Amino acid sequence: MVSRASVAGARILALAASALLLFIGNAAIAPQSALAQAPGPEVCAGCHEGQVNYYKNSVHGQKGNLRGPSNAGECSTCHGDGTEHVKAGGGKGVGGMKNPGGKSASMSNEDKSAICLTCHAGGSKRTHWVGSTHETRGNACTSCHTMHTNDKVLVKLTQPEVCFACHKQQRVEVQRMSRHPILEGKVVCSDCHNPHGSIGKALMKRDSVVETCYQCHAEKRGPFVHAHDPVTEDCSICHNPHGTVADTMLKLRPPFLCHQCHTPHGGQIAQARGQPGQAANITGKSGVNYTQGRGCVNCHTQIHGGNNPGLLPTPQFMFR
Amino acid sequence: MNTSKKTLGLSQTAVALAMAAGFPFAYAQEGGGVAPAPENSVSVGIGVTSGDSYDRTRFGLYNGLRDHDANGLFGFNYSNRDAASGRWLTIQGHNIGLDSREFGLSYRRLGDMKVNVDYSELVRHDPRTINTSLQGAGSTTPVIPAGLITPGTGQNLNLELKRKGLGLLVEKQYGPYQVEVSFKNEDKEGARYFGKGFQCSNAWRFAYPALCGGSTSASAVLMLPEPVDSTIRQLEAKLNYSGEKLTLSGGYYGSFYSNSNGAITPTIGLTGFGNQNGGVLAANAAFAATMALPVALWPDNQSHQLSLAGNYALTPSTRINFKYSYTRATQDESFGGMGLGAGPGGRDNLGGRLDWTKAQIGFSSHPLAKLHVHGDLAYDSKRNKTPLDNYNQEPACPPPGVLAGRNCNPGNAAWKPSVFFTNNNQSPKKWDAKLEASYKLPQHFLLAGGLKYEHEDYDAVTPSDSLGGITGVRQKMEESSYRVELRKTMSEAFTGSVSFSSARRKGDSSWLKPGNIWLGELGVTEVSDAAIYSRTAIFPHMFMDRKRDKFRFMGNWTPSEKLSLQFFFDDGKDTYRAPTEHGLRNTKSQNFSVDAAYAVSDAWRLSAYASHGRQSVDAGHSTGYDAILKDTATSFGLGIRGTPTARLRIGGDLVWVDDKLQYQQAADDSASAGNVALLAASGGLPDVVYRLTRLNLYGEYDLQKNAYVRVDFIHHRTSFNEWTYSLNGIPFLYSDNTTISAQEKQSVSFIGASYIYKFK
Repeated sequence: MVSRASVAGARILALAASALLLFIGNAAIAPQSALAQAPGPEVCAGCHEGQVNYYKNSVHGQKGNLRGPSNAGECSTCHGDGTEHVKAGGGKGVGGMKNPGGKSASMSNEDKSAICLTCHAGGSKRTHWVGSTHETRGNACTSCHTMHTNDKVLVKLTQPEVCFACHKQQRVEVQRMSRHPILEGKVVCSDCHNPHGSIGKALMKRDSVVETCYQCHAEKRGPFVHAHDPVTEDCSICHNPHGTVADTMLKLRPPFLCHQCHTPHGGQIAQARGQPGQAANITGKSGVNYTQGRGCVNCHTQIHGGNNPGLLPTPQFMFR
Repeated sequence: MNTSKKTLGLSQTAVALAMAAGFPFAYAQEGGGVAPAPENSVSVGIGVTSGDSYDRTRFGLYNGLRDHDANGLFGFNYSNRDAASGRWLTIQGHNIGLDSREFGLSYRRLGDMKVNVDYSELVRHDPRTINTSLQGAGSTTPVIPAGLITPGTGQNLNLELKRKGLGLLVEKQYGPYQVEVSFKNEDKEGARYFGKGFQCSNAWRFAYPALCGGSTSASAVLMLPEPVDSTIRQLEAKLNYSGEKLTLSGGYYGSFYSNSNGAITPTIGLTGFGNQNGGVLAANAAFAATMALPVALWPDNQSHQLSLAGNYALTPSTRINFKYSYTRATQDESFGGMGLGAGPGGRDNLGGRLDWTKAQIGFSSHPLAKLHVHGDLAYDSKRNKTPLDNYNQEPACPPPGVLAGRNCNPGNAAWKPSVFFTNNNQSPKKWDAKLEASYKLPQHFLLAGGLKYEHEDYDAVTPSDSLGGITGVRQKMEESSYRVELRKTMSEAFTGSVSFSSARRKGDSSWLKPGNIWLGELGVTEVSDAAIYSRTAIFPHMFMDRKRDKFRFMGNWTPSEKLSLQFFFDDGKDTYRAPTEHGLRNTKSQNFSVDAAYAVSDAWRLSAYASHGRQSVDAGHSTGYDAILKDTATSFGLGIRGTPTARLRIGGDLVWVDDKLQYQQAADDSASAGNVALLAASGGLPDVVYRLTRLNLYGEYDLQKNAYVRVDFIHHRTSFNEWTYSLNGIPFLYSDNTTISAQEKQSVSFIGASYIYKFK
């Protein structure tokens, strides 16, 4: 039951908040005097205690957050005016209540996201949300983010779990031998991808694969005296950063990887030392030396490019 | 950059979660669940791990639990919040007793400003053990002593790479404007696999006797770890504006790499290197001196980027977005400063410079209530302004009659002087355009379709360069693709989508054949497909014509309130074509998975998943054999979470992964007798199988309202039978008889207990 004093107080607070927001020109939160008269959290808690308790402890529920829902219309900011809903005694969708939750089927994804974007359209990360891969494939903000429980996306250890809801192949790949420390929470999906939209391939955070990788692997940027062009074009030509069974997250071991572009020298077949039927001489440019160890990179060690200006012997083949 | 608002972790025993996190259960947002009010807490515990450091190489790759049998588990969380003023202060520390420790401080005035400071350490412990006589491994002056050791009798060496990162983020709101400044400094220290190898040949023997001592067969492959002592600094400053119609974000991003090491200059005491046959090659001091020549390490480099991005609501139903960025990347480290010789003509540095421009504009519109159209046009241009110079020399080949047995280039009878050629400075450009539309059909179905076109111009090959080891290239490629999708939305019982996409890539210019360096030819010549055709040639796959088709199905079904199911299937194939019968022919991928989540009651939840994937690469190798590499990965997981009593919470996860890579080598018509015999006797390279079984169990018991204990048990078992460094006990030998090994089967159990005390 909402007292007259608290209604008046809420109205005054809402009017003051509206004036402040108009002054700073932030149209993200329009004056919501009508919503400010809507039932507040104390009423909603009668049936939704858990959600209200979480809200009160969250960023959204802090009165000190002058830009937040607590100074606009509280619950009604996102869920709509609950007056009729309360009068009718509650119920899913009753009274025109909006449920922008991820599993809710009562709103379109565009409408769900529009609620969040009322406040969260700004910043540097969401300029390309509208028209992005996730948005156009039927995702809303609440497909990944939760408002009334711990948001797993914002915690490094649990963020990948959210992404794996759709990206199943990566769920297996991160368990492989050669991998980034994703399981340990040291590298997370959003360290490389901007799920809110990017102009680059695969929603790369820095708009290209190479620039994203350079965040941690800037030694590969060069330019170098001796360049290996696929390196500067796209690291994922050779590497799968989610995890592989070959060293250094290569998609395939040398020589098989290298033989997708380069004509191999010698007539040797890829082989391991000691295999039956092996030729007597397996030293030098042999099938063993370009299969085992680091494979082709045993000799062509500067595979990402080398800065050696020396002429002899031949650094241009990435020897040294 | 990692200085985002992501928190370090909410659990006090992040270590246990880190090890346990197999993410087997992709159940989407579980509803309900009440988060407790923010708490201050301290966590103290101890964890004990079975086995020794060799049993734990895969388990302890990143989690700091490899080296010691017992480890302290410490963490804390301090949170001071004032709801009225919106001031929040959080200070956290996790894994404090381990080398993967993290600390973070966050001060926020909600809706107004934020300051985050974080410190993080990470050590990657390489899972293999090196047995070697090498001294000074991981330094810039390693020493291979005289006297070849017997394989396996050297000292054991384990490489590790340590990262220490410090980050700072400041955000401040000024009305519709926001200022963001972030800085990150990451130091990297340690060593990783590297090396050097070379084989002399006729050309080198004749042209530069000093390098090969007259030998055509002298060769060596050395394991010389790369010494790592470098720093990456990133500075980013942005000004963002958010208005009713217009959103803008513009700023600067600088990235700076500096390396304390310039080159590895080994001292080689051996004059007779070991060979892969298990013997010793003839002593060759000249060749040993060649192997001691410096190997360049990474030069310092810098990158500066200015960018502007944003979106604008043209109308209530149409929004455009755009981005423009300009980056200048440079590398001008002194060759002499790196410990290398001077460049051509006494040049001191490369003067490397790359200017990179990206521009994009797109739109998203709802011209009708049920119709959504969006499109995108993007341009990407790299201008390589690195000066050209003669950094490369192909040795001379003396004329016939001067030296008997000369065979510099079969079929070439002419004298060939040394040929000098330059580096390359190609400047590639790319355009791509995309148009997609979706229409809402009855019964909450949605039909979507799209077209995409990409054009890439790699630029003309630098005429003064020589392309080695490449059969042919193309300057221009184009790709057209289309996509169709049918999606079922807005249903709590079932949502799903089925899509098909198809792309065709082909050259937009002729093949370019590299000049024959043995004839002194540089650059490339445009030729027809027929002129460049060779049955066994390999063409780089990015220049080959490609046909790509992919089908995907995803479905979410909630048959009851307690049970939800998720299905996923995709199937794709890429087929390649070039003027050859060899090289990459096709790649295939097929993945299937099913996930289930079941709420037994309010207190108990079960979840499970199973997935199976197959990927194959079919390629012909010009050395006369084919290989169809096939990777089959099967994985399943089970999970349980429960609250049997008001004080007790328990949970468990089981993950099992089986990944098999088959090499399926087969002889081609042109295979040599030796290759045929090898395949017949050995069956080709053995399959590589990686198997992982991981069981995590935990329990938390409330001792009192503000304290609980947590016990974790983890059993981690792996098996990996790769032949990279050894097959059936026969090791791959480096030329100083260094060998590398790892335990094929590893089994580790961990048990940890922590006491967590919460306080106001």
